[in-house]
Amino acid sequence: MSTMTLYADRDSVIHNHVSPLTKVLYVVVSIAITYIYPDLLFVLLVTIFSGMILTLGKVFRRILPILAISIILIISIVIVQGFFNPENQTELFSIGFLTFYKEGISYAALLTLRVFNMIMAFGVLILTTKHDELVEAFIRKGLSPKIGYVLLSVLQLIPQMRATMGKIADAQASRGMETKGNLSVRMKAFFPLIGPVVLNSLNSTRERAIALEVRGFNTGIKKTFLNAAKEYHHQGFIQLILWLVLLGTIVWRILI
Amino acid sequence: MSNRSMWSLKLSTAAIALIPAAIGINYLGKLVAGLLKLPLWLDSIGTVLSAMLAGPIIGALSGIINNIIYGVTADPISTVYAITSGVIGLIVGVMAYKGWLKNFKTVIVVGLVVGLAAAVISTPLNLIFWGGQTGNVWGDAFYAFLVSNDVPVWLASFGDSVIVDVPDKLATVIVSYLIFKGLPNNFISIFQGQDKIEEL
Repeated sequence: MSTMTLYADRDSVIHNHVSPLTKVLYVVVSIAITYIYPDLLFVLLVTIFSGMILTLGKVFRRILPILAISIILIISIVIVQGFFNPENQTELFSIGFLTFYKEGISYAALLTLRVFNMIMAFGVLILTTKHDELVEAFIRKGLSPKIGYVLLSVLQLIPQMRATMGKIADAQASRGMETKGNLSVRMKAFFPLIGPVVLNSLNSTRERAIALEVRGFNTGIKKTFLNAAKEYHHQGFIQLILWLVLLGTIVWRILI
Repeated sequence: MSNRSMWSLKLSTAAIALIPAAIGINYLGKLVAGLLKLPLWLDSIGTVLSAMLAGPIIGALSGIINNIIYGVTADPISTVYAITSGVIGLIVGVMAYKGWLKNFKTVIVVGLVVGLAAAVISTPLNLIFWGGQTGNVWGDAFYAFLVSNDVPVWLASFGDSVIVDVPDKLATVIVSYLIFKGLPNNFISIFQGQDKIEEL
């Protein structure tokens, strides 16, 4: 069954020897410290470190398309902050009548690096962790199994619904639905496309609910796991270091 | 629904099974809006619809889980807005329960309230994470216009969010309401968790 995932199957240290929860902690800590300590060089170092972990996990090339999604936000940050940051004073360079200022550009660089680091840190988690292993790790930590079911079933449901969508789009097009033209024509096409998919998915939701009930979804008995938990070593030590880094950054920020 | 609190955490299986469907509908709404090149995202129809059907708790859960899932499968940046999506579901659920889905006029009020609330929640997030911008061309152009006219950054950022969020959420709520109205009654009753069966 096809699922939505960005997971890249590789044989690496990050894949095999770092537990999902440690990676989640890494995401949180590495994003948090770039916002706690707003220094360009420091944020650059954190970003490079995230990139290094991705390289260690042999998935660096996979992060590039994800970075590309945020490119509009980044261009917008550079242009708007470069021109219009209220603290702009020092002229950096000008193209024609447009002038970029030093303060705005360095602020934009800081924001851009933070965004890059955020995406790369997430990449460390999502490119090297199977989603079912991640969800199971959370359930073992006390997440409700029902929420776990919701999280995992979404990833299978979306490709199914996308396939249904394709069928309905073809069916409506064969009945003469216009999908091109001016705005009002395109707006009218929205309902015949989305309506049947919604009805279809609510209908299958009802059937799925009955199927789940029959299988004891609502019983209060403790659930067991299908897959045995993977063993990881030294996770406590890595997590301790991450907590210390977070604490250290906060202390550093207060002192300086 | 009348004999049952909307805040009840005893969620029925049908209501929980509704969450993945809601997230799927969100995804398809965005897909179709992109396919038809509409100037809106329409990416929270499922969240709004699930809140109308099953109340604020399911609505909020759908919203939050939607952005987390989207964050880990496509675009990590959207995870930041999980709180905004959660609040959208929450507000629609509460207003639906309080009877604000009576007619088209009240639905427009719901849409405006949701849009403004989304802007209010998004503004601090935008300020903290990207210096006040949204990444939407029109919104950011408006932001630049306000800042260059000496409007404080937080107000300009709020203006940016309002321009982006209010029309989108208004359209989303109207579309969801039209779909909700078209649903057969037996669909609606299963998600509202009524345990009592009425005898004729």
